[in-house]
Amino acid sequence: MPEGKFCNRTPVNTQEDLDALLADKGGKQYYEEMEALDVDVPKLAASLKNTCKSRTSTWLEMCAHCGLCADSCFLYLVNDRDPKQVPAYKIQSTLGEMVKKNGEVDNAFMREAMEVAWSKCTCCNRCGQYCPYGIDMGVMFSYLRGLLHSQGFVPWELKIGAGMHRVFKAQMNVTDEDWTETCDWMAEEAQDEWPGLEIPIDKENADIMYTVNAREPKHYPEDISEAAILFHVAGENWTVPSSGWEQTSLSMFAGDWEACTMQVKHVYAAIDRLNPKRCVGTECGHAHRATVIEGPYWAGRPDGLPPKPYMHYVEWLAEALRLGKIKIDPAKRIKQLVTLQDSCNYIRNHGLKEITREIVSYIVEPGYFVEMSPNKEHNYCCGGGGGFNGIGRFRKQRNRALMMKRDQILATGAKLVLAPCHNCWDAIRDLEEEFKIGIKWSFLKPLVVGMMIVPEHLKPKEEEE
Amino acid sequence: MYQIITGPLLWLTFVVFVAGLAWRVVTYIKGLDWKLDRVAYGTQTAYGVRGAVRSIAAWIVPFGSQGWKVKPIFTILFFVFHIGIVVTPLFLLGHAVILNTRFGLGWPTLPMCIADTLTVGMLCAGVFIAVRRVALPEVRIITSLYDYTLLVITMAPFVTGFMAVHQLGGDYKFWLYAHILTGELMLLAVPFTKLFHVVGFFLSRGQLGMDYGIKRGGMKGTNMAW
Repeated sequence: MPEGKFCNRTPVNTQEDLDALLADKGGKQYYEEMEALDVDVPKLAASLKNTCKSRTSTWLEMCAHCGLCADSCFLYLVNDRDPKQVPAYKIQSTLGEMVKKNGEVDNAFMREAMEVAWSKCTCCNRCGQYCPYGIDMGVMFSYLRGLLHSQGFVPWELKIGAGMHRVFKAQMNVTDEDWTETCDWMAEEAQDEWPGLEIPIDKENADIMYTVNAREPKHYPEDISEAAILFHVAGENWTVPSSGWEQTSLSMFAGDWEACTMQVKHVYAAIDRLNPKRCVGTECGHAHRATVIEGPYWAGRPDGLPPKPYMHYVEWLAEALRLGKIKIDPAKRIKQLVTLQDSCNYIRNHGLKEITREIVSYIVEPGYFVEMSPNKEHNYCCGGGGGFNGIGRFRKQRNRALMMKRDQILATGAKLVLAPCHNCWDAIRDLEEEFKIGIKWSFLKPLVVGMMIVPEHLKPKEEEE
Repeated sequence: MYQIITGPLLWLTFVVFVAGLAWRVVTYIKGLDWKLDRVAYGTQTAYGVRGAVRSIAAWIVPFGSQGWKVKPIFTILFFVFHIGIVVTPLFLLGHAVILNTRFGLGWPTLPMCIADTLTVGMLCAGVFIAVRRVALPEVRIITSLYDYTLLVITMAPFVTGFMAVHQLGGDYKFWLYAHILTGELMLLAVPFTKLFHVVGFFLSRGQLGMDYGIKRGGMKGTNMAW
């Protein structure tokens, strides 16, 4: 069979197709069709010719097979040092073979490559740090994902996820109406306790344009209200766009570069429309990666920067605490052992390691913060990065991958984990569910809301008798 | 025979070596693509150069990077091997004499005992590196015949040179010719095999350094702790 009804080389572009694909529960038919999906060899060879340039081909050719990357990979370590989990082996046996054969590969090869690309690498990029040549296999796996996606060999959930971005410009089928209604609802709910609080939509020339992860309006609307409270208390002139508010990109996990470009351009269009001084994104790692780090390149911006300065939430929060816009009540600081999860996407891959620790210095009583080991840019992935959390087919492998973070957390003795990243937060929640080690985990927003000093003039007025 | 292998063949070797590596450098740089690589090489060059220098420096110095620090034994083997390869032939007395008699060049030289130590050290390290390829499962799985061939090509001029210098193994002329030919073979192999890492290391390490120096935190003022 050349192409299946669900499993094919065409991405999802309409709501109809999206609904049909979603109706195929668990991708049962999808994966059956995949077993018979043909490889379009001329197309694959052409893609390689056009995109496998000197950086990638040198990485593949020059690898000295020294094996120093093995210990850098947490998946190698948690899988009992299985040699098949050595990063160099993983990439050479997939992308390396594909390049050597100039795309002359078969269906079985592609399905195996899909399994390796999405269940044996989270694109955390740690191996590149430990390779003498700086061969970044995370970057290469991301590239391989793009090639696999273009041939239809992509996990079911991620084809849906990328389709969501194409159809709704947001994951989890959250529409612009859902979004603005949620903002209005959250503002209204908060106003009892916070008179004067607003969530201004589409305000032009504000100081800050705030963007989120679609799961906040979908599942965690209180996150939006906490963000609003913190902006309100800090006295920020801020806004959210009615469209272009969704900062995440499951298409990045899927390797659907066209959808990545569409999604990030949509956010940048909101920036152009509203002309804020700068942008702030929520506590999410991959959203930041997609919109701020990689996004400018997808959008074709030669300076490699978003149209306006674009901060991760931790940067804004650290600044607000540093400048005293938000003051912490010393009595309410965290007084239990607490550790911090460094998100690969903005710590290793955007250098914000000291910013999160600055926040810790304001909100944790001295003596109670314990670093994980290793930490900062050398930290291990949470175990669920790069789309791993969301793929049902690889749930068993993902659960095993969580063991590294579990052991790192246990070694700190901390019972609370700060996790300013949606993906890490999910992985840590799942590891607690899976292994029951008795920890709690939290974003920064709810903690800061609970421990800040509320200025008198922002408190609700006592009703007159 | 001697005339040919130290005359035209030697010159041919040098030309191929230098031109081949130059070709490697040029094609690598020409093949960099800011959009595909997602690194703004052209517009954020100063950040990029800074990142490249930091990245190379961390890895060219023994124990300069985290990667070296966590693997002390391999790191020692690695540097003994590479220092032996680079330093010995460049500053060997015998080579300097040739430079002097042919071109009248004065050239700094190493005392023989140091050259010997470097050579023996390099050969021992090479043997350990080969043993490591067999002994460690994580290295064995990625090792192929090609890797051993390169080790042989790299070590051969040092074995033969050592034999010739110390007049071991009887036939001096044999070892001398073998040394010259294996030396030429190694130099010829460099541009066409993985040995092109002679320049490739700097290019590739530099490239990832640029990536970090520009996109992955360098422009935030953060220094990657390699």
